[in-house]
Amino acid sequence: MIGLTDAVVRFGARTILDRLSFSVPVGRSLAILGPNGRGKTTTLKAMLGFQRLDEGSRIAPVIVGYVPQTGSSNQRYRAIDVAVMGRAAHLGLFGQPGPSDFEIAQAALERAGAARFADHFFDRLSGGERQLVLLARALATGSEAIVLDEPAAALDLRNQERLLDLLKSLREPRDKAIAFTTHDPNHALAAADDALLMMPDGQSLFGPVAETITPEHLEQLYGVPMRVVDLAGPTGDSHRAVLPAFAGIRAA
Amino acid sequence: MTTMTQEETAPAAHRIHLARQTLVFALLLALLVVAFTVSLCVGRFSVPPGRALELIWQGISDPSRELAGIDERIVLLVRAPRVVLAALAGAGLAISGAGLQGVFRNPLVSPDILGISQGAAFGGALAIMLGIWGFPLIAMVFLCGMAAVILVGLLSRINGRSETVTVILSGLVISSMFSAVVSLLQFIADPNTSLPAIVYWLMGSFATATWERTLVAAPGLILGSCFLWMLRFRLNILSLDEAEARSLGANTTRERWLVFCLIAVIVGSQVAVSGIIGWIGIVIPHAARLLVGHDHRALLPAAAVLGAGFMVCIDTLARTATAAEIPLGVITALVGAPIFAALLRHHYRERTGS
Amino acid sequence: MVPLSLITATASRRRMAAALAAMLFAPAAFAEEIVFKDQGNREVRLAKAAERVVSIVIPMASTVIALDGSTSKLVGMNPTAKSAVLEGILGKIFPEAKDIPSDVTAPNFVPNVEALTAANPDLVIQWGDRGADIVAPITNAGLTTMLILYGTEELTRDYMTMASKAIGKPERIGELVEWRDRVQKDIEAKATAIPDDKKPNVLYLGRALSDISASGSKANYNAWSIELAGGKNASDELNGTVSVNKEQIAAWNPDVIFLNAFEAKLNVDWVYNDPILSLTNAAKSKRVYKMPLGGYRWDPPSQESPLSWMWTANLLHPETFKYDLRTEMKTAYKTLYNYDLTDGDIDNILWVKEQGTSADYAQFEAK
Repeated sequence: MIGLTDAVVRFGARTILDRLSFSVPVGRSLAILGPNGRGKTTTLKAMLGFQRLDEGSRIAPVIVGYVPQTGSSNQRYRAIDVAVMGRAAHLGLFGQPGPSDFEIAQAALERAGAARFADHFFDRLSGGERQLVLLARALATGSEAIVLDEPAAALDLRNQERLLDLLKSLREPRDKAIAFTTHDPNHALAAADDALLMMPDGQSLFGPVAETITPEHLEQLYGVPMRVVDLAGPTGDSHRAVLPAFAGIRAA
Repeated sequence: MTTMTQEETAPAAHRIHLARQTLVFALLLALLVVAFTVSLCVGRFSVPPGRALELIWQGISDPSRELAGIDERIVLLVRAPRVVLAALAGAGLAISGAGLQGVFRNPLVSPDILGISQGAAFGGALAIMLGIWGFPLIAMVFLCGMAAVILVGLLSRINGRSETVTVILSGLVISSMFSAVVSLLQFIADPNTSLPAIVYWLMGSFATATWERTLVAAPGLILGSCFLWMLRFRLNILSLDEAEARSLGANTTRERWLVFCLIAVIVGSQVAVSGIIGWIGIVIPHAARLLVGHDHRALLPAAAVLGAGFMVCIDTLARTATAAEIPLGVITALVGAPIFAALLRHHYRERTGS
Repeated sequence: MVPLSLITATASRRRMAAALAAMLFAPAAFAEEIVFKDQGNREVRLAKAAERVVSIVIPMASTVIALDGSTSKLVGMNPTAKSAVLEGILGKIFPEAKDIPSDVTAPNFVPNVEALTAANPDLVIQWGDRGADIVAPITNAGLTTMLILYGTEELTRDYMTMASKAIGKPERIGELVEWRDRVQKDIEAKATAIPDDKKPNVLYLGRALSDISASGSKANYNAWSIELAGGKNASDELNGTVSVNKEQIAAWNPDVIFLNAFEAKLNVDWVYNDPILSLTNAAKSKRVYKMPLGGYRWDPPSQESPLSWMWTANLLHPETFKYDLRTEMKTAYKTLYNYDLTDGDIDNILWVKEQGTSADYAQFEAK
């Protein structure tokens, strides 16, 4: 389980988080939405334990699997070496990864869909591929919580589809508490069980996706009118999406 | 560069990488062994190589033997400790530089950045002025080097944490302070006794190496380097950015300071017996990185071996090329810079080429 | 800094005599301006004989005292000269010399302009061959400066003559130069008979305790003295004064080693106890000697140089040179400092206690 209870964070006179409460139990997935500057990053840092809370408390496992937006490794490590870094907490200060650690790292790469470039150099991979490797690293930590920072932000449509499939498959075994921030409410619809909407007025709305991802709430969140759209999904089944009213062009 | 090609050649690329790594290590080790052996056979006093090798063998197989002849003493009492010390110092400085560059995530830092060398130099200058020699001198050198690190730590601590940039700036402040005090000491030192000793020793040289001094510096050099080597995987973690490193379980502040302390031990030991030697700590890690990559599990040993071999070659040149002892700093720059430039060009041609 | 009052307060009979003499000749001396060209090719102009001299050049401090016969004209000296005063006999002959300030310059000849101006000198003696950086601050402060050059006996005689003129004692230098000339010619005459293969390889070590330094022969006074006395400079191949290591010394394998008089803690045991140096010819035949420290150190050129040459010659070729050094020293010190050397003084100067057992040193013992 990972979450915050009545968390308050102030930067000087500004209150960024005002009695924020939410939780992600193991087996569920949370999408965090909010306009820029509202405090998504702060919330993320607070979940990871990097942000001191002025009030309130945090529940989290000792190690939280963190998938940053971009890896700092523009250094020449192989993907498997990046993944095995996730084992650091289990090895202690002077420990070295052994065969079992590499096996775990390899399994993590497979689960993240990155096994085919395990021996490639990280800095030679594309942005999407790197993200998968970073996810593998987070999985390799063995943590029951995985936190992703804007995982879809830099991806093209094809890779977005892949990522959403991945998030869904991650959730399937129901063995992890997953949380991710996103700008796109449809990602929440696709891959999350719960959503946390960080409203502009400082309030927040937390609950199952079906209750929170509604046009009314989204309009309140983003300040633009939102519409529900029904469309035929990739395999013919019916899909529901939420789009801003300004999407597309006025029909003739 | 397409995904297809990478998939096809991935195992092959890995095999090539592994083979290349092995080859590089083998070459570096070979270079070190050759440099070592040649250095023992070479010097201003003429000893035929065969005789030198014979003496080395005798020295190893019967260390307690009385040394009567001048050639025995030259090879085993003058050259041997000097070459060993140069190798240990070169390895220690290179490993320290590699570790430091990892921890700071910055390829431009060197052990001097933390003010360790300057602090150690101050300790030594002060000891010389007070007429302290031998073990107490080395102890003072080492303690003042550590003091410099502690001062940097205190200065850079804000809100209980120390940011990287603040540490670098604090290091600059502290090292300048110690440098200034050393200059002051030089000014008031006795011109006939202390002053030449201080000046010479600040310049960096292995000319005063004896077995006694080498064995005094060796524990710090070896232990410090060993512990840094044991941290090789941890250094990979620490070289990620702050949030990532911490999320993987690293207590970044504490572990960084552990690395600094180990480096202080290494550099303090080195400065205590051979003065300030720059350049090695910043450039050898770069060269090693060009050869074996960023992974500290390969980088640290590569840097150590390369640093040892390089230092041995440099010092042998310094004591043999002319009748006079050439200052180490002159040769490191003259020899190292072109080699490094060549490595750099080769590397970038490789990366931007086919 | 020592207050000026302390320097001028001490009165000695010698000073009184000198003052009387000066007053007698006063009209002649004071009426004339002193003008000469120094060794930097500059015109030095003094309204009258210099009364307050600072010598940044190390040996010239003792030379000025010797020429003047007193310490009254010297108001500043180099710290390295000060140490010679404190360690050697000059401090015994002229106790007030110990109070002359030495903060007017750093040991490396860089002047401390404030201390210098506070000493209010009318003449500053400085090296002319070490760059303008150590000269400009003095001239910019408006102080009259006399530049001298190092290296040869000719230059040495020349600048000593200049100094004696500058302090208004031109009559003093005549006999000193004449003495030097006489001794030099005597040694040269005897040395011509020595065949080349009988000339020992002689190594002079300018530094030993920190790093070891030796010098080439070009414009080097020690090398010249060695050659004068019938020796060969073992470190001739060097360029200037540089650091050398013990292996190189072993390669040269000198027949005689001279240790500098600058390092107080250095004595001949340093060579005999060293595993490498003790195997040189010099060590094996016990021909290791530390240069004596008299009114000034006998390594660099000074007013006592002829004594140094005689000492060196006696040691390098005892069968050819048989100067009665002790008598020569007594005579010289009487002339230079009007001082009667005791046997104990001579033993101290020659380090008899420390190196009395060195080869051929018995000749210097008191009879």
